[in-house]
Amino acid sequence: MNNALAVSGIVLKELYRRKDFYVLFILTALITLVMGSFKLFNDDKIVRYLKEICLLLIWVSSMVIAITTAARQLPAEKENRTIFPLLAKPITRGQLVLGKFLGCWFSSGLALLLFYVFFGVISGTREHQWPVLNYLQALSLHWIFLGVVIALVLLGSVVFTAVSSNATISFIVIVGILFVARHLNKIALQLAEPGRSIVYTIYFAVPHLELFDVRQLIIHNLPLIPWNMWLIACVYGIAYSLFFLLATWMVFRRKSLN
Amino acid sequence: MASPRFILAFLFTICLSCVSYLEPWYQKWSGAENRSGDFLSVLIGDSRRLFSNQMVAKADAYFHSGYYPTIFDAPKEKEESHLSGDNDAEAGHDEDHDEQPGSTNHVEHAEHQHSATCGHNQKSEDGFLGPPKDWIDRFGRKFFPSQHSHLESGGEREILPWLRLSAELDPQRIDTYTVAAYWLRKRLGKIDEAEQFLRDGLRANPDSYELYFQLGQIFAENRNNLVRARNLLEIALRKWQEQEKAGLKPNELSYQQITGNLAKLEEKSGNVAQAIFYLKLLQEKSPVPQTIQQQIDDLQKK
Amino acid sequence: MSAILEIKNLRVEYRSREAGQGIKLAVNDLNLKVQAGEVFGFLGPNGAGKTTTMNVLLGFVNPTSGSASIFGVDVREPIARQRIGYLPELTYYYKFLNTEELLRFYAKIFRIPRAERESRIDAALKLVELEHARKRLIRTYSKGMQQRVGLAQALINNPDLLILDEPTSGLDPIGRMKVREIIQRLKNDGKTVFFSSHELGEVETVCDRVAILNQGQLKVEGRVNDLVDQYKCDLEQIFLKIIGYEVAA
Repeated sequence: MNNALAVSGIVLKELYRRKDFYVLFILTALITLVMGSFKLFNDDKIVRYLKEICLLLIWVSSMVIAITTAARQLPAEKENRTIFPLLAKPITRGQLVLGKFLGCWFSSGLALLLFYVFFGVISGTREHQWPVLNYLQALSLHWIFLGVVIALVLLGSVVFTAVSSNATISFIVIVGILFVARHLNKIALQLAEPGRSIVYTIYFAVPHLELFDVRQLIIHNLPLIPWNMWLIACVYGIAYSLFFLLATWMVFRRKSLN
Repeated sequence: MASPRFILAFLFTICLSCVSYLEPWYQKWSGAENRSGDFLSVLIGDSRRLFSNQMVAKADAYFHSGYYPTIFDAPKEKEESHLSGDNDAEAGHDEDHDEQPGSTNHVEHAEHQHSATCGHNQKSEDGFLGPPKDWIDRFGRKFFPSQHSHLESGGEREILPWLRLSAELDPQRIDTYTVAAYWLRKRLGKIDEAEQFLRDGLRANPDSYELYFQLGQIFAENRNNLVRARNLLEIALRKWQEQEKAGLKPNELSYQQITGNLAKLEEKSGNVAQAIFYLKLLQEKSPVPQTIQQQIDDLQKK
Repeated sequence: MSAILEIKNLRVEYRSREAGQGIKLAVNDLNLKVQAGEVFGFLGPNGAGKTTTMNVLLGFVNPTSGSASIFGVDVREPIARQRIGYLPELTYYYKFLNTEELLRFYAKIFRIPRAERESRIDAALKLVELEHARKRLIRTYSKGMQQRVGLAQALINNPDLLILDEPTSGLDPIGRMKVREIIQRLKNDGKTVFFSSHELGEVETVCDRVAILNQGQLKVEGRVNDLVDQYKCDLEQIFLKIIGYEVAA
């Protein structure tokens, strides 16, 4: 674990020394503030559209940060040949994969925290209410979601050769899951066999990432998710992250580094 | 060998010559759309109308606090409910007319219109999710809005940005103005804003009888300015008749509303003969002419 | 003296990327022993299998057959790398770090206690003469400085065995001399150095023993002086003879 944490520290340093995060944060803040500055029908109390736009930008930005950071980790180590002096030290490939995951996850978490604080301030000042627990639930579920995404992208990075193809494929898969996964059972019911069984199998097999997207609950000030359900969702997400990490390690440990 | 500066100057001259030749042709070819100066129409062209519909759907989803069917939720039912929404609206208003000619219940109208515009009715709203199909479905319902509710107590304001955006995307979409004006006027007490929005709509749609009618209603119901209300309703009626003559098949329910309200307004002003005139116009298009006749008789007795 | 690096019947095959080439043999039945405290030169023309052998020793590549061990531990075990330092031929270190941060990171991997860590970093930077640039980002370094960063990271754990893959490649004469001095100093400190190089003059100067590899096979192995006596010529001539290169008259 010591080695994994050391590697994760490097990933964290990389994030805050690169410009991607700052650009995305400034862009999110700028768009939100510009949208918030419009006075619609002389009504200052209209806020939900602003929350929606801000949360959408946060989701897109966090996904871009997580996917691009995770996708380049292992390929960049190989491409820049930094992997050679690193693996020549007493560190296992499993520790390297875990370290990369933790680094990406922690850095995404930090970015997310900053984004949500900004969101909280913007919506709080407009709505004059501070549903901290709701935001905490949304933030934690979002972070778990990014964990699954990062693990999935790391797996992609040991399967696909090019960083760009991995990032693009991962992005499409993740967005596809977010939009469609919840409805696959309905699609299955409209199909004949064997299509029905195939789609149903996919429905049960894919990680239901849409569970972690609770933006609608936040935007419309709906009540808290029951805490036991929140906990089950967290366990579900962590289990999927571990599954993808294990698969990554299984592929990566056999790879020759030439 | 020519110097690079000479080549640069030569190429620049070619570019200038080409552009001075092509520009007039392009201006002619690109037509009115490019000259409109509207950023959105230049950027996304006619596809903005699709986005406009999507914004109205978004407003409807907001009205239900996010509880809204997706394309995967019983698409067949949704399509039927869209049509039935329109039918319900018309049927409902005919019943209103039976009871209170000339005093159309506009609250119901706007809500019906809202429902029809947004493509679903109460029945489909309540149960589009159906019972959970499996454990993932049951579990997942804790993580998105799965209870039917409507915005109230001023919360309705939250739908307005999407309607404004819809109007920006498709200024020719009349429903956007009438629905927004309804919520502004009836639920949020924002009469000036409602009038302003309707006038924005009129600038883009100068022949819209619906917008004149809604403006007339503002002056009749909220500003108590019967003269201006009458003027506006008369313009609405004239626009409707012009469209009918042009074979554009304007909405008959709107005709009933315009004539009914004109009749009511004249009655209120003491112009009984004029009120009877409008009721007779209404009678021509009403599915229940006997009821209208009854009202005419009542007025004649006064 | 005991062998601290041992290669037995090593065979490495890999799938060629060129169409129609099939399987290529990189190393064929290699047997080698490096004794503690000696400087061992691993020579051969390009494509002879030197880097592949080193990659096996560091666990980057799995052998097709045979085995390799360092300090008696199979090279596939990470613990085998606890007491070694490695300098790759061409390496770019994390460009967003400065040298101090890079060395601190590697020190953490070696689990060097926090109290000892800083003094090790100081010592390594002093040895490679990079103390003045310790806070500068690595991306601002010249090639020679980057090579010295490589040496510093290879020395951070005070290793008993150093594996250096062409440590002087691309360096100017002063850079080469400095690397040679460092190897000499390590030798004086009793460290074992296993390195590959094309600079045969430099190998002749610093090495106790050499092995010459050609087309994946070990052609010659022995003490430098013995080989010079045996072939009656310098190491460069020996090398050219062994790889079958005829010098034009």
